[in-house]
Amino acid sequence: MVDDLTSNIGNKNEILLGIRNLTRIYTMGKVRVPALNNVTFNIKRGEFAAIMGKSGSGKSTLLHQLGLLDIPTSGEINIGGIDILKLSESQKAKFRLERFGYVFQEYALLPELTALENVFLPAMARGRKKEDYLKTGTKALEQVGLGARLHHRPREMSGGEQQRVAIARALINDPDILFADEPTANLDSSSTRQILELFQKLNRELGLTVLMVTHEPEDRKYVSRVIWLKDGELVEKEGIPGAGNLQIAKD
Amino acid sequence: MLTDLNLSLFLAYKSITKGNKGTLVLTIFIMSLIFVNLVFTASIFLGLGNTVNNQVINTLYGNIAVEPKKDEKYISDVHSLEQKINSVPGVTGISSQYVIGAAFSYKDKSGAWAIRSINPDDEKTVTIIHNFMIDGEYLSKLDTDEIILGKEIPGGYGGDLEHLSLGGVKIGESVDVLFNNGVKRSYRVKGVFDVNFQQSNNLAYISQNEMESVLGFNDKASLILIKTGETGNEEIYIKKFLELGIKEEIKPWTVYAAMVKNITKSFDMIALLIAVIGLFVASVTIFIIIYVNTISKRRQIGILRAIGIKENIIIQSYIFQAMFYAISGTIIGLFIMFFILEPWFIEHPLKFPVGYVSLLIVPEKVSINTISLIAAALAAGLIPSWMAVRETILEAIWGD
Ligand SMILES: Nc1ncnc2c1ncn2[C@@H]1O[C@H](COP(=O)(O)OP(=O)(O)O)[C@@H](O)[C@H]1O
Ligand SMILES: [Mg+2]
Repeated sequence: MVDDLTSNIGNKNEILLGIRNLTRIYTMGKVRVPALNNVTFNIKRGEFAAIMGKSGSGKSTLLHQLGLLDIPTSGEINIGGIDILKLSESQKAKFRLERFGYVFQEYALLPELTALENVFLPAMARGRKKEDYLKTGTKALEQVGLGARLHHRPREMSGGEQQRVAIARALINDPDILFADEPTANLDSSSTRQILELFQKLNRELGLTVLMVTHEPEDRKYVSRVIWLKDGELVEKEGIPGAGNLQIAKD
Repeated sequence: MLTDLNLSLFLAYKSITKGNKGTLVLTIFIMSLIFVNLVFTASIFLGLGNTVNNQVINTLYGNIAVEPKKDEKYISDVHSLEQKINSVPGVTGISSQYVIGAAFSYKDKSGAWAIRSINPDDEKTVTIIHNFMIDGEYLSKLDTDEIILGKEIPGGYGGDLEHLSLGGVKIGESVDVLFNNGVKRSYRVKGVFDVNFQQSNNLAYISQNEMESVLGFNDKASLILIKTGETGNEEIYIKKFLELGIKEEIKPWTVYAAMVKNITKSFDMIALLIAVIGLFVASVTIFIIIYVNTISKRRQIGILRAIGIKENIIIQSYIFQAMFYAISGTIIGLFIMFFILEPWFIEHPLKFPVGYVSLLIVPEKVSINTISLIAAALAAGLIPSWMAVRETILEAIWGD
C-alpha cells in the first residue's frame, strides 16, 4: 500500500540497486552499437535520481536494463545480494509486478479500462482481494490528485491526468523503485511541473526511490542526484539541486 | 491460478464490452454465419438423405418387404402369410404385389418397364402414390384393362428420362404390353402419377385380378410390402415375423435404400468436405480477427507485460475473447437455424430429383459443429496471442 512506503525512510543509506559493468550492445546485422558501455554505480534507497544526457546517449537503454525490460549483453544488477539478471523470465515478470513501478513517456494506459481499473490491475494480478485493491487504487488516485476522476476512461482525461493515472498504477503494488522514461516529454509546462512536483512529494514524504530519464536541464532542481550519460558511458556529477556547482564523482 | 483466470476474464470482458462495438457486432455476425453454414450444409444433406429414405418407404417398399425364399420365384400361401403379418401389433398396412418386366409399345415408340400389380385398397395402406396423380385417376379394384403409369413412361409429363418415354401417351389411349412370360395385352391408360422420385416414376401398376389372369395362378406374390406405425424399429418387427415362423426373406427398407443411395453416399462425402472447408474458413476468420486485434493492441500487450502481467494471462484473455465470439455466434446461429431457416424450409421445401427436401437438423450434428467451432476458436485465439507475446517487450512497445 502506498502508506507503507513511509517505512522505507528508515533505511535511507541502504544500497537498493548495485549496478556492475553493465553493457548493452545492439547488433543490427553486422553493425554493433554499444548503447551502454561498462556502467557501474549504485542507487540508494530514497534517492530521486535523474538520468541525463544528450539524445542517443543511452538513457533509455540504461533504464530498460535496470527495469528488467531488456537483457543486457553483460554485467550485473544486484538487489539484496542477488543478481536479478540471472532470474528466469517469469521470475523477472513477478519482480516487475511486485517490486518495480513504471511510468512511460506515452501514457500507456489501457483505453478500455477506467482510471481506477487501470490502477488496480497490477494489484489484481498479485491476487489481492477486491475490496483491498479497490480501496488502495482509490487511495493511489487520490494521492496523485485524481480522486474525482476514478471512473473516467483515458480518452476523457488530459495528458497530464493520464500520466498521473500511470503514476498511481506504478505505485499500487508498493514498489521499491519507480522508473520513469521522459514522463513529461508530451506534456505542457504546467502539467510537467505537476508531475515533477508529484515525484518530489512521493520521494520526500514517502521515501519512494525514483529513477527518471529526462533531457530537460531544468528538471535538475527537483532531483537529489543526476546521473550523466555520454555515448553510453557514465559521467556522474553529484550536487545540490539548483546549486550550479556540480562536482564530478565516480561511484 | 484463480487470480490469473480472474484477471484474464476481466481483461477479456473489458475488451469485449468497452472495445469497438462495430467490430464486435460484425465479428459475432460472421461467426453466426459460419455456424449456420456448417449446420445448414449438414442439415440439407441429411434432409436429402431423409427424403430418399421416405421415398423408398412410401413409394417403393414400405418399412419392411418380404421376398420369395431363395431359389423360389414367388411367395406362396400369401393369404395366410398376410394374416400372420397382420397379427403383429404395430403393423398398419400390407400390400402384396406381383412384379414383372414388360415391353411397352405405343405407336412407333417402345420401351421396357417393370409392372407391379396391386389391390388398390391394400396398396393405399402402405404407399402414398394415390395422392400423387398428376393426370387421370388411380386404379380401382375391378379395373382389368386399365393401367396407371409413372410419369417417366408416357412422355409429355416432364420426366427426367423423357427421351426413353413412349413419346406422349394421353389418358384414355391404349398401350400394348408384352409380359415377360409371353402374354400380350392392351391397356387403356387410366392415370399418370408423379411422386418426385425417379425410381418410383418408372413403374406401372395394374390390378391384382388382371395380373393373376396374365400369370394364370393366384395366392402368390413377388413382394409383400409392410408398413409399420413408426420408422426405425424395423429390426424388432422382423424378429417378431421370424418368431411367427415366416421362412421368406424379410428385408428392412434400409437394404433397398442402400441400393438407391449410391447418390447419397457421395452426398455424405460432399457434406463432409464442405464441413471441413467451413471449419477451416471459421478458424481462419477467427484467427484473422484475433490477429488484427493483437496487432492493434501490440503496444498495450507490451505495456501489460512490462508492468509484470504474466504472458499466460494475456493469452488466456484473447482465448476467452475468441470463445466469446464463437459461443455468441453459435447461439445466434442456432436461433437462425431453428427459428428462421427450419420453419422457412418446412414451408418452402426445395424440389430435388429425389423429391421435396427440407432441412433435417440432427442434434448430434449440431453438437459436433458447435464443439468444432469452439475448438477452432480456441486454436485461432491461442496462436496469434501466443505470437504476440513472443516478441520482446521493447519491440512490442516501441517497435514499428
Ligand atoms: N533497438 C535498438 N536497436 C539498435 N540500436 C538501438 C536500439 N535502441 C537504441 N539504439 C541505439 O542505442 C543508442 C542509445 O539509445 P537510447 O538509449 O534510446 O538513447 P536516449 O534514450 O539517451 O536517447 C542510440 O545510438 C540508439 O540509436
Ligand atoms: Mg530515450
